[in-house]
Amino acid sequence: MNIEPSSRRALVTVIRPRNASRYAPLTSWLLTLPLLATFAVGFLYPVSKLVALSFASGSESYLRLWGEPLYLSVLTTTAMTAAAVTVFCLVLGYPVAFAMTRFKGKAAIITAACVFVPLWTSVLIRSYAWIVLLQRNGIINDSLQGAGLTEQPLKLLYTQGAVILGMTHILLPFAILPIYATLRTLPPDFARAAANLGADRARTFMLITLPLSLPGVFAGGILCFVLALGFYITPALIGGPGSMLMATLIGQQTTVLLDWPFAAALSTILLTFTLIIVFLFRRALSLSKGFQSVH
Amino acid sequence: MISRQITHACNLACLIVVAALFMPARLAAAQDQIVIASTGGAYDRALKEAWFDPFTKETGIAVTIVSATNAEMRAKAAAMVKSNNVSWDLYLEGEIQAASDAHREVTEDLTAFCERFSTKTDLVSNACQAGGALLQSTATLLVYREKDEQQETPATWADMWDTVKFPGGRAFPNFDDPWRVLAAALLADGVKKDELFPLDVDRAFCKLDEIRGDVTLWWKTGDQSVQGFRNGEYDVGQIWLTRARAMKNEGLPIGWSYKASFLVGDRIALIKGAPNRENALKLVEFWLDNPVVQAKACDILSCTPPSTQAIALMSDQARESMPTTEEIKDSVIIPDATWINANAPLLLKRWNEWVR
Repeated sequence: MNIEPSSRRALVTVIRPRNASRYAPLTSWLLTLPLLATFAVGFLYPVSKLVALSFASGSESYLRLWGEPLYLSVLTTTAMTAAAVTVFCLVLGYPVAFAMTRFKGKAAIITAACVFVPLWTSVLIRSYAWIVLLQRNGIINDSLQGAGLTEQPLKLLYTQGAVILGMTHILLPFAILPIYATLRTLPPDFARAAANLGADRARTFMLITLPLSLPGVFAGGILCFVLALGFYITPALIGGPGSMLMATLIGQQTTVLLDWPFAAALSTILLTFTLIIVFLFRRALSLSKGFQSVH
Repeated sequence: MISRQITHACNLACLIVVAALFMPARLAAAQDQIVIASTGGAYDRALKEAWFDPFTKETGIAVTIVSATNAEMRAKAAAMVKSNNVSWDLYLEGEIQAASDAHREVTEDLTAFCERFSTKTDLVSNACQAGGALLQSTATLLVYREKDEQQETPATWADMWDTVKFPGGRAFPNFDDPWRVLAAALLADGVKKDELFPLDVDRAFCKLDEIRGDVTLWWKTGDQSVQGFRNGEYDVGQIWLTRARAMKNEGLPIGWSYKASFLVGDRIALIKGAPNRENALKLVEFWLDNPVVQAKACDILSCTPPSTQAIALMSDQARESMPTTEEIKDSVIIPDATWINANAPLLLKRWNEWVR
């Protein structure tokens, strides 16, 4: 079969790359197709079913939701908790990420293990570990009393503070890894140049390293925040009655009352809220000059 | 070289995972089997030893146990029925929920099946109902730490509210089913047993405000109530009898009072469209027909079996911890399931608003 040279050329450009560093459009589509298909079947389809379910009886579920101050107030608490956890994760995670880029040999391996091993451990086990530490006659209370700092055991477990502590611990790797990834791509020449021009270490960090690592900080922050919004197991195990989060309410409607349309409406609200936050973060990111100078 | 080995290992692992994902759920399912969902742990072990194993021995039908919490079972069973993909046959459900409309939508009406037990005089009158067969009854009740032999011990819900006479932290359940806490508050406030239902929710929350500051533990799981007592987090609490009994067996100084108790039971429900329906009904029949089996299970779990003959067969020690007929008549409260089910969303909403 003869193919016209021009159309043949066109076909070749679709399948074969124009230059070596890029895939041709069709090839890249074919390569991403399995992922896209999985995404459509495993995520888009169920989520659209969920949204449809929330409208099963018209907008009744949503009207009920707005009519109850409880749900909005819990949504606010959820957002505040997630924000607090994100801030703690970034503040605690940045120095670790920074240190990881400087360490070599054994120190690097040990730090990496300290970050990854908790990440690979089940959330359930890590939450139970906090119960062991924080309970009335746990290690922390025993040491405080042993040192004579407190007379009565402190109420540490089943508090909002315990929830924030536990969630920060679980989400810390999600802040450390993106920051580490960004810091690693920064050429050491930048810092050297700054030093050459007379900047001391603190000034170099504040003016060069920190601004350039902001994309990683944003990426880590948004990962932590979005994951924290949906936390369920940790607040259930180490939280008290005061630490009621959105996921707790969704769980109640799903399993206790079997009111799935209402549970779906609550989930849709949480999802919409999450998407809005992600969108706002992106807007903030694209306005940040530091971001564009790197990518 | 090493990295290539790692790549090979990863490829192999991926293949295994993919293969496992596409494996049919019930590979080579045995011809004669039943799948029953139960709450796991000591409960499952007792049922297996006393009920399932003898059944398998007699009939050759294998019994597979799936473990989940009550709420998970309820949600999963409902999802199975809705998606027309039922892989369980039986599951255990609380007495109250088993009387709800939502339960009826998911489970088969057993009225016709229950007729064969109407002539059995040893069974209690509610042993077999549309919503399921009665597995056992137990109580949620007032427990306290035994301090000094001579001292008076708390006996009623009013005593639980009396923090002067009975000092120490208090514990209440907070597992999304708040009626028993509200009911205790009303009884403490002087409401009579016969006038308890329908619950006066506003009055109950007012009474609860009084004790809120003394509550040192709001437990979500039975395990928390046990761990809290061991740690000395509370001295007087409302917990499950089965857990209190387990702590007593461990040698902990715990006592309880039937003067402040609610009767709650578990039912065995048959899911609509159960794949092994006939076998499952045989298993239910085996339970109700065999006082020996019931006695053995309840000896381990310290529960009250549906057959009076079974009670007679139980050990003296287990029978001692059961309420006497007198206590049941005068003080043990049987909750109004219809009212609780009709008001469940409202109760939970009010509870959420109050507790947080």
